Amino acid sequence: MLAGRWQENGGLAVRYAFLVFWLLVSVLPVVGLVMASLKDTALFQSIPEVLSFRGFTLDNYERSFRQGNYLFFLRNSMIISFSALIVVLVTCVPMAYGITKLVSDRSRGTLVFMVLSTRFLPYVVLALPMYLFFARIGLSGTLIGVILAHLAMQMPFIVWLMLGFFAGIPREVEEAAVIDGCTPFQVFWKVCIPMVLPGLNASAILAFIISYNEFLFAFFLAGYDAQPLTVGITRFIGGADVGAQYGVVAAYGSLIILPIILFALIVNRYIVSGLTQGAVKG
Amino acid sequence: MSSRRHFNPWAFILPGVIAGGVVLGVPVVQAFWTSLHRLRLYRLHDQVFVGMENYLRLWQDPLFMLSVRSTVVFTVGCTVLSVLAGLMVAAIMSTRGIRGTTMARFFMAFYLVPFVATQVVVGMLGRLYVWEPEYGLVNFLLSLVAIDGPMWLISRDTAMLATVITNAWRLTPLAILIFYAALATVPDELLESAEVDGAGGLRTFTAIKLPLIRYHIGFVTLIQMTSAFREFDTVFALTGGGPGRATNVLSLLVYNEGISAANLGMANAIAFTMLIIVGVISLAYMRLARLDKAGE
Repeated sequence: MLAGRWQENGGLAVRYAFLVFWLLVSVLPVVGLVMASLKDTALFQSIPEVLSFRGFTLDNYERSFRQGNYLFFLRNSMIISFSALIVVLVTCVPMAYGITKLVSDRSRGTLVFMVLSTRFLPYVVLALPMYLFFARIGLSGTLIGVILAHLAMQMPFIVWLMLGFFAGIPREVEEAAVIDGCTPFQVFWKVCIPMVLPGLNASAILAFIISYNEFLFAFFLAGYDAQPLTVGITRFIGGADVGAQYGVVAAYGSLIILPIILFALIVNRYIVSGLTQGAVKG
Repeated sequence: MSSRRHFNPWAFILPGVIAGGVVLGVPVVQAFWTSLHRLRLYRLHDQVFVGMENYLRLWQDPLFMLSVRSTVVFTVGCTVLSVLAGLMVAAIMSTRGIRGTTMARFFMAFYLVPFVATQVVVGMLGRLYVWEPEYGLVNFLLSLVAIDGPMWLISRDTAMLATVITNAWRLTPLAILIFYAALATVPDELLESAEVDGAGGLRTFTAIKLPLIRYHIGFVTLIQMTSAFREFDTVFALTGGGPGRATNVLSLLVYNEGISAANLGMANAIAFTMLIIVGVISLAYMRLARLDKAGE
C-alpha cells in the first residue's frame, strides 16, 4: 500500500517534469527572442548571454518604431484583420445557419462536402490567380485585395466551425420561437445567435488571429502601402538600414508576436473551444 | 406554422455561396485556365494557348521532381512528428492527478503559444536564435551534453530536419488540444475495469484509449498533412528554400516560378498539380478513415 502510494506520487513527479519540459519547448524560443530584443549589442550572443539581464536597453524598440515604420504596418494589419473578420462573419455565419436548416439531405451533404473540400486548398493555387486578376482590375497592391484573399482563406474554416455550433441548438427552442410569432430572421438573430454566442466568439477570435499572422497572400497581393506587419518585417529586415542588427530584428519580431500571444492567453478559453469543435463531437 | 413554410434556408446560404464562388471558385478556374497557356508576368496581354504542354514539361523538370520529393519528406515529417508529440503530451495531461486541475489549464494555455505565434516571425526566430550553429539554442543545449551540433540550416543534410521540426513545433498544439479533448470522452468505467484486471498505465493507453480515439487521430492526421503540404510562410522565412534547393517545397517553387521567374503559365500548372494531389489524397484518406461519415 505504502509502496503503491510512493509509486503513484513518484509517477506524478515524472509526469509533471515532462509537462514542464514541454512548456519550455513551447515558450523558450519566444522568451529568447524577447530577451535578445532588450540587449544593446548588434551582434550575436550566446544563449546564456541572451537570457541574462546585462546590457538592458529599449533602443531596438525605438528603432523599430522610427525606421521600421511599425505603427503604419500595424495600422494595415488591423484594417485587414478587422475588415476580413467582418466580411467573413457576415457571409459565413448565416450560410452555416442556413445549411443546418436545409430539409434535403442531398443538398445539405453537397454543401458540407464543398466546405470540407475547400478547406484543404493549397493557398498558392488562390494567390497566383488573384495576383493576376487584381492586376487586371486595378486592385493590385490595395487593402481590398488582401481582405478578399483572407475571405477566401477563412470561409471554409469558419463555416465548418459554425455548422458545429448551430447543430447544437435544440429544435424545440426554434419551434417555440416560431409559435410565438417570430419571423425566420428573428429566429436567427434573436434566438439562435445568442445561443451560439460562445461559438461565435471562438470563430471570430480564431479568424482574427489567422488573419493577423497571415503572410503569403499579403506578400503576393499587397503593395507597399497595404503591407501588414508580417510583410513589413521581412522587407524591413532585408533592407540596407538594418542588415545584420539582430537586436532590431528581435525587437520588431517581438512587437509582432507578443501582442497576439498575450491576446491568445487572455481569450484562451475560446480558442480551446473553437479548435476542439468539430473534431471531438465525432 | 405558416411562417415556417415560407422560410427558405437558401436566403441565408446564397450570399455565402456567391462570395465563395467569387473568391474561391473563380481563382481555381483561372489557375487551371492560365496553366494551359504560355504567359509571362510582364507581358500579360501576350497569352498563348499551349494545352497540356506546361504539365508535360513539369514531369521532365528535375527541379520540380526535387520539390515533390522535399514536399513529401516535409509533409510526412511534420505530420508524424506533430501527431506523435501531440499524443504523448495529451496522454500525460489526461492522467489522473493532472487532468482537470488548475495546473493542467495553465499548461494548456502556454502549450498553445506555438499555434498563435506569427509564422514569419517563427521562421526568423528559428534562423537567428534556434538553429544558428554557433550561438543558437539547439546547439547550446546539445553542447551541455557534450554533443557538437551540426550546421543545421546551412547544411544540405540537416536543413530539412530543422525545417520539419520548426513547422511541427507550430502544428503540435492543435494535436495536443484535440487529443486531450478526445481522451476526456473515454468512459472512466472502462479504465477502472482495466485496472482491476491489473493493466498498467501504458497498457491501458495503447489497448483502450488509443483505439477509442482513432477517429480523432485520423482527423488530426488529415488536418496536419494538408496544412504542412501547403505551408509557405514558415519555410520562406526560415530557409527561403535553401540551402541550394534542399527545402524548396512546392509552394515555394510556385513563387519562384511565377513571381521570380515571371513564368505564370508554368507556376499555375505547378499550383494546380498541388491541388490535384491534395484533392486525391484527402478524398482517398477520408474514404479510408471514414471521416466523411463521422464528420457531421
